[in-house]
Amino acid sequence: MILTPHIPVHLEMTMSHKRHGLRLLLALITVGANASLALAQSPGTVKVESFTLPNGLAVHLVEDHSSQVVAVDVWYNVGARNERPGRTGFAHLFEHMMFQGSANVKKAEHFKYVERAGGQLNGSTQADRTNYWDLLPSNRLNLGLWLEADRMRSLAITQANLDNQKEAVKEERRLRFDNQAYVGVFVDSLSLIYDKEKCFAYAHSLVGSMADLNAAKVEDVQAFFSRYYAPNNASLVIVGDFSAAEARTLVRTYFGDIPRVIDPPPVECEQPFNTGAVRRRVTDKNATLPAVLQFYRTPSVSHPDYPALDLLSTILGVGESSRLNRLLVRETKAAAAVQGALNPVGPVRGPGLFGALAIANQGVATDSIVKLLDAEVSRAATSGVTEAELRKAKAAYLANTMTGRQRALNVAEAVQFAAMFLGGPDRINTDLARYEAVTVADVKRVAATYLRSDNLLSLVIVPEGK
Amino acid sequence: MPTARSHSCATRALPAALSMLGMVWLPADVRAQFPANAPPPASIKPAAFPPFEESVLPNGMRMLVVRSAKQPVLAVSLAFPAGSAEDPSGKAGLAEMVAGLLTKGAGRRSAEEISAAIEGVGGSIGAGTSADFLTVSVSGLARDAKLAFELLADAVIRPTFPERELELLRTQTLSSLQLELSQPASLASRAFAKALYGQHPYGRRPEPTSVKAVTRDDVVAFHRANIRPTGAFLVVAGSLTQAQAVQLATSAFGMWQGRAAAPSARQAPPTRSALELVLVHKPGAVQSNILVGNLTWKPTDGRSYAATVADKALGGGANARLFQVLREQKGWTYGAYSSLVRQRDIGRFEANTEVRTEVTDSALVELLAQLKRVGGERMSPAEFDDAKNALTGAFPLTVEAASQVAQQVSSARLLGLAQDYVQTYRQRLAAVTLESMQDAAKAAIRPSEALIVVVGDAAKVYERLQKVAPVRLVSTDGSPLTPGDLVTALDVARERLLVARSDSFTIFVGGNPLGWQTSTLQSAAGVWTYTERTQIAAIVQQSTEVRFTSALEMQSVHQTGRQAGQDTKIDVIYSAGRAKGVAITPAQGGPKTVNVDAALPPGTIDDNLLTPVIPALKWAPGAKLAVPVFMSGKGATGAIMLVVTGEESVKVLAGTFDAFKAEVTGGDAPITIWVEKGNSHRLLKLALAGQPIEIQRVR
Repeated sequence: MILTPHIPVHLEMTMSHKRHGLRLLLALITVGANASLALAQSPGTVKVESFTLPNGLAVHLVEDHSSQVVAVDVWYNVGARNERPGRTGFAHLFEHMMFQGSANVKKAEHFKYVERAGGQLNGSTQADRTNYWDLLPSNRLNLGLWLEADRMRSLAITQANLDNQKEAVKEERRLRFDNQAYVGVFVDSLSLIYDKEKCFAYAHSLVGSMADLNAAKVEDVQAFFSRYYAPNNASLVIVGDFSAAEARTLVRTYFGDIPRVIDPPPVECEQPFNTGAVRRRVTDKNATLPAVLQFYRTPSVSHPDYPALDLLSTILGVGESSRLNRLLVRETKAAAAVQGALNPVGPVRGPGLFGALAIANQGVATDSIVKLLDAEVSRAATSGVTEAELRKAKAAYLANTMTGRQRALNVAEAVQFAAMFLGGPDRINTDLARYEAVTVADVKRVAATYLRSDNLLSLVIVPEGK
Repeated sequence: MPTARSHSCATRALPAALSMLGMVWLPADVRAQFPANAPPPASIKPAAFPPFEESVLPNGMRMLVVRSAKQPVLAVSLAFPAGSAEDPSGKAGLAEMVAGLLTKGAGRRSAEEISAAIEGVGGSIGAGTSADFLTVSVSGLARDAKLAFELLADAVIRPTFPERELELLRTQTLSSLQLELSQPASLASRAFAKALYGQHPYGRRPEPTSVKAVTRDDVVAFHRANIRPTGAFLVVAGSLTQAQAVQLATSAFGMWQGRAAAPSARQAPPTRSALELVLVHKPGAVQSNILVGNLTWKPTDGRSYAATVADKALGGGANARLFQVLREQKGWTYGAYSSLVRQRDIGRFEANTEVRTEVTDSALVELLAQLKRVGGERMSPAEFDDAKNALTGAFPLTVEAASQVAQQVSSARLLGLAQDYVQTYRQRLAAVTLESMQDAAKAAIRPSEALIVVVGDAAKVYERLQKVAPVRLVSTDGSPLTPGDLVTALDVARERLLVARSDSFTIFVGGNPLGWQTSTLQSAAGVWTYTERTQIAAIVQQSTEVRFTSALEMQSVHQTGRQAGQDTKIDVIYSAGRAKGVAITPAQGGPKTVNVDAALPPGTIDDNLLTPVIPALKWAPGAKLAVPVFMSGKGATGAIMLVVTGEESVKVLAGTFDAFKAEVTGGDAPITIWVEKGNSHRLLKLALAGQPIEIQRVR
């Protein structure tokens, strides 16, 4: 029911900070480890037990008895990237359909079962995957598995459900995209970043066009389900307080006889990089302040350059002490808010994006924002970053990882992520090493390689009517 | 360096080889059938959670350590029993601003140095307030515990409160307040708190004036009085041992001494013995936000557990009655919920929903009926068990991580609950019986003496809500309104307005025909022109021309005249939602010139157009008709209210007609008019109140 674009657009419209700030010193960051505490500095190893059912369902189990919670997390290997021209928005529309009932679970009953058990649930759609999760007290593992199996095997695809959910999706589109400042512009800009002919997979919006949503027929939806919502195109992760033996039996009982289908066709994306800067001026009827949105094309999550780019995006765009915040918000007061992020709409196996959004302060010309952004980005490419900045970005990554590992659902998502994007569930335990190995030289190199002006899409967003 | 790169990718992420493993693993003959019914719950396990220990430091700070070795992370918070309820009168928002400033300069660090230090190790720091508490929190990796404690201690003991950071925060606070005051849900909760708590400080909310009134001296004084160690509550959650946490806390806070000032004396909230409805008028709203509730009790009240079960069954989610009835059965809303709010002095029950304007009264009546049922009608054991089981089941999810346990335990302790609150929570829930639940529901949910707040378009809901409860009408800023203030966009029958015509009236002064008024209305190329000429003896002469489009958008008004020896003139052009021009009107001591430049709310007409609009209004017995006007002579917006007060036969020069009699207010002076009852609703007669002037239709 929820699309998860963490479009860098959920920025708070905080006002500029008044202090002048580059005397800030990263020297202070050297307050280091306190030896007397003698604490571990790694998140430890996640022990993943993996197997695959004969019908192709990949299953990964992580036992953790520290609290009485269990997370059931199903990823389908389908997302906006599998959509074709004229059929956009299907992956997300389908996610809605998954809550409309199946052979033994009536419409909207999924919610009620989970809520009655004291649990939580949700689903989300990204370009590369669609997920469904149930977080339950551990004595209800069987419920979570039964609910997920029932809809994998027998979703109720009816005209009435489709009509109803088309309207819900259109309403969601109106609410979350068409009526939100900067979001509509962002969605529309995808077709400028990616080549529509060579990489339609990423060159369209995952919420879909209204015309395509209107045109969706029940046969199309049935075909989509048959092709993608099959055990051999899904993976199931269970994390928490359960016994693996018991889980194996339940999984076998509930999912074992769901038939496999022919593997879906591969997705093609031949996306050229460095094709020359594209600079556009666009209007936004929902915006009240002008803004600048800049994108650079980046490689896939599994590419060796990805960790360095991720750390660079933190140094540039995350937190009060980030380079862009210091320059645009505090020092020059050009922007009311600024944020940078790698893959703002979720990780991708194809080429990704580094994006930065700066919302102009009242009375500031967008030209000066563009200049500041260009200058700060190219400074990273020509002069690199400092050791202290790199240490900070690594610490942030480590802290996020460790904080996340306290919760079963986060661990489940991390296992799924490793399986899909990093080449296997065990990569959950080696991902940090990729980040730790990054040097300042690496960061400078990836900045020079990808954040170059001929790889840029720059959008100046002007409130309509101004 | 490559000049052109390309990237290709294929769909399959999971190596096909993996699937082969399963073939040996699963003998087909032991497969069980897929069950058609949801499997029953396995037996419930006692909820284990990270161990915690409470102690008191020599300076009187209480300390809670929740230990989980799961991950080497740390979350530390320090709460002071002085939240926004301690804001001095006229300075609402002070505590929140103090909280915001504690981390914007402290010890030897500036705001930037603080953020660089904590972000440098992957952590974060911040502070906030509730009505009862001010809490500063810092989180990060356990290896950086020393820095975390140092920053926390600096923030609470040695804040520098730089003037420039105060000004920056004030700007941010004012702009978020502006946003808040535009949102119906915020308006509802502000109006609700104000009416429910009265003069008790829980009823106060920051206002632009109170935020502007805060000075640095206020900030310093609040800090000196309230941010003291004795009575403060330090919570350490993560992988530190008790001994490590005590050592860090002692070195960070050991030298700090002092006791907070006694809490200010507080006036008790008003008691209420009947329904009261506060209607907040938000013109043009398409939805109504409804909040219904009442005061409950102190957080330590023994009935709390039983009441929690009742609240769960009533409004605790998609299975609960409010959601099921208001959304699933009636389709009036996207959601409807209830909650019990614990606060130190006195808590409250509240239920809320947002509904389409047309069903506001029906939804409110149904909501009140459901509130009454939960305590008044016997609940089925199955429904009761469902609610109880959902609460019991949800408990492990609330104590999964050390920081969650810390949150649960500390809020319980700060509210004065027992040390074993978290450990015994499930047992206490289990002890709730159907009978104790219903007794608690009767005490906690009292719809017959509830406060109701509705935020919506009062022009559309006022009368219908009066049938539910006595209505107190207020504007969005809380000031009182009268029904006459309820003006919506002009609502007219266009087919009766947009008709070419001419009219003629005789003006009587003291019974003598001393003047006349003629008018015409005609159109050309989609633009309508209304012209009016008036002459009363030698005292008044006036000529007016108003242009407007078929869509009733104003274009211009031009008026020239002479009244009692003074020249009058209006030249106003309407364009892009604004009225601009000049008006010269008679006044004592000589003509008064007004430079007109004002925004024009949609659906507003020039007040000189009132006469031709009269036939197009929706006349009916008892009708209250509002015409939003722009008074071009004054350069101000307003409303003309026409209230039908009777139906009578009236004789004018043109004949005798059945007429509606209506009192007209909102213009310069009150007048009475008579309008033909038939379909044309022509203006027949007009009389000025208190003056011997009357206008009668001639033909």
